[in-house]
Amino acid sequence: MYNTEIRGPLITGDKTFHQVTEDICHPIDRKPGYWWYFVLLLCLGALVYGSWALKITVKDGIGSWGLNNSVSWGWGIINFVWWIGIGHAGTAFSIFLLILEQKWRTSINRAAELMTVVAVICAVHFPILHIGRLWDGFFIFPYPNTRGPLWLNFNSPLFWDVIAIFAYFVASSLFWYVGMIPDLATIRDRTTSKIKKAIYGFFSFGWVGSSQDWLRLETLNWLIGGLIAALVVSVHSIVALDFATSILPGWHSTIFPPYFVVGAILSGFAMVITLMIIIRKIYKLNDYITDSHLNAICKILIFISLIMGTAYATEIFIAWYSDNEYEMFTFFHNRVTGDYNKAFWVMILSNAILPQLFWFKKIRKNLTIVFIISICINIGMWFERYVIVVTSLTKDFFPSNWTDYSPTGVEVGLFVGTFGFFILCILLFFRYLPMISIHEVKGVLKYKINK
Amino acid sequence: MNTAILGIYEDEDLMISALKRIRDEKMEISEVFTPYPVHEVFKILKRKTRLPLATFLFSSLGAILTYLFLYWASVLSYPLIFGGKPLHSIPSFILISFVMMIFFGVFLSVIAFLVRSKLYPGKKVKIHDLRITDNAFVILIDKKPEMSSDDIKLLNSILKEHGAIEVLEK
Repeated sequence: MYNTEIRGPLITGDKTFHQVTEDICHPIDRKPGYWWYFVLLLCLGALVYGSWALKITVKDGIGSWGLNNSVSWGWGIINFVWWIGIGHAGTAFSIFLLILEQKWRTSINRAAELMTVVAVICAVHFPILHIGRLWDGFFIFPYPNTRGPLWLNFNSPLFWDVIAIFAYFVASSLFWYVGMIPDLATIRDRTTSKIKKAIYGFFSFGWVGSSQDWLRLETLNWLIGGLIAALVVSVHSIVALDFATSILPGWHSTIFPPYFVVGAILSGFAMVITLMIIIRKIYKLNDYITDSHLNAICKILIFISLIMGTAYATEIFIAWYSDNEYEMFTFFHNRVTGDYNKAFWVMILSNAILPQLFWFKKIRKNLTIVFIISICINIGMWFERYVIVVTSLTKDFFPSNWTDYSPTGVEVGLFVGTFGFFILCILLFFRYLPMISIHEVKGVLKYKINK
Repeated sequence: MNTAILGIYEDEDLMISALKRIRDEKMEISEVFTPYPVHEVFKILKRKTRLPLATFLFSSLGAILTYLFLYWASVLSYPLIFGGKPLHSIPSFILISFVMMIFFGVFLSVIAFLVRSKLYPGKKVKIHDLRITDNAFVILIDKKPEMSSDDIKLLNSILKEHGAIEVLEK
């Protein structure tokens, strides 16, 4: 295989199959360190704040947010798009690399898929809460109702969003879980605790590893992987259409769907690398998540960041080239200079410029810098959504409508709360589930040169 | 009464050479258990799956049903024009049908996989060897009434010859 001749062994340290099982199951067997409880406490704190914000939002309504007539979409949609973006790359990572037969994905895909599932759960909180009257939330689904039956507006991207995200959540959760069944069986078979045996036994669906089951599982992974790959692209395109089908300057643009998909992949890959560096550091899994893995992700980030930079430049160029005064105003007087220029330049710096440092091998090798840049990209991607949403809404066609927008404590609370939830799920994942796909790593263990 | 012979290996290549030999002796291999999917085993045991066809049918079904529903809801059940758009809005309908095609395809394929492989939460299974999910490759051969004791001896020796770490009769 040509890819391994260049890359060398995928798993270092000359591991045997048994060692792989032991290494990956080790965190599940022993009690976690103090850091785990400390972070758990922080998460619970964030969740308490989030629950308070949730209560206020449900009890008092959307009036408790900082929205006004002009800025009718604030942190809610920003956080929604940001989380969906992160949620995208998990599956994008796992599935695109599966389809492209990149064997190095095996050490990383499990954690990336979990990230997807949890991030999508975090994301859907925002539109659901923005409904305001939660108890009427089911109106969004087409069901035989007593109003005519009056059906939904099937031409609305907001409805497309609902079905796309619903489908994406179900599909990526299934993909993640089905891939984990053999590993749950591994834990079932090696544990000595009766309770653990019963629980993991229940969730491993009676997996025994027969050849027929393996063939079906592998085929299934390929099939649903191929289908979800199309979904990854379509879901974020649909999210982009929420904006692009409007007539607001800065939103009304055909570049939006690809631009959003690439942005999602950039933020998600950055989150994957953040997570991988943490896992490596804490659990000492350097033999599985090798320098070569992180190096490869950094190289992908250079490429995606270049596309991002091109997209930003294209938007600005088209604003000028169109000679449309509203577009010119939004881009040149409201984004590049003006009230929100700081957010704009943070976005350019962290998404288009900082990742270009990965051209240098020394920087790719220095994990501290890689970690810092990956965090910067995540912050930058949040600001990208902030720039898109807030600059276009605060100053629209009508100067008498111009207002400022700042979030209230309730909006901040909801965001912090989703963070708490995200990190809590990751902590539980570290503690109770195999964070690297055991059977897939075993499959590539002997994948060396001359094979 | 022992009903099956199990050859346990720790190496994929040794296990495959044993499999080939048993196949050449025209003996029937009941099942092979491995810690990860081994493609050579699928070939030797002539394992096949019709899951791709099933997924294709499920996806097509999802797309067609969704499109028909959308047409029925917007054109027949409650024809209401909004925004000057035609009742039969093909681009929107295609988009929704596309997403539902994927949803049906994925969801029903997973169900089909679980049903066909008879996997369900809390299933009690007979585990032949606890090492299968760790590092053991196990060849299982059911003893048939027509097998003579010589056949069984031959099997035992083949399994051992090819480097089995253990040969069990269960």
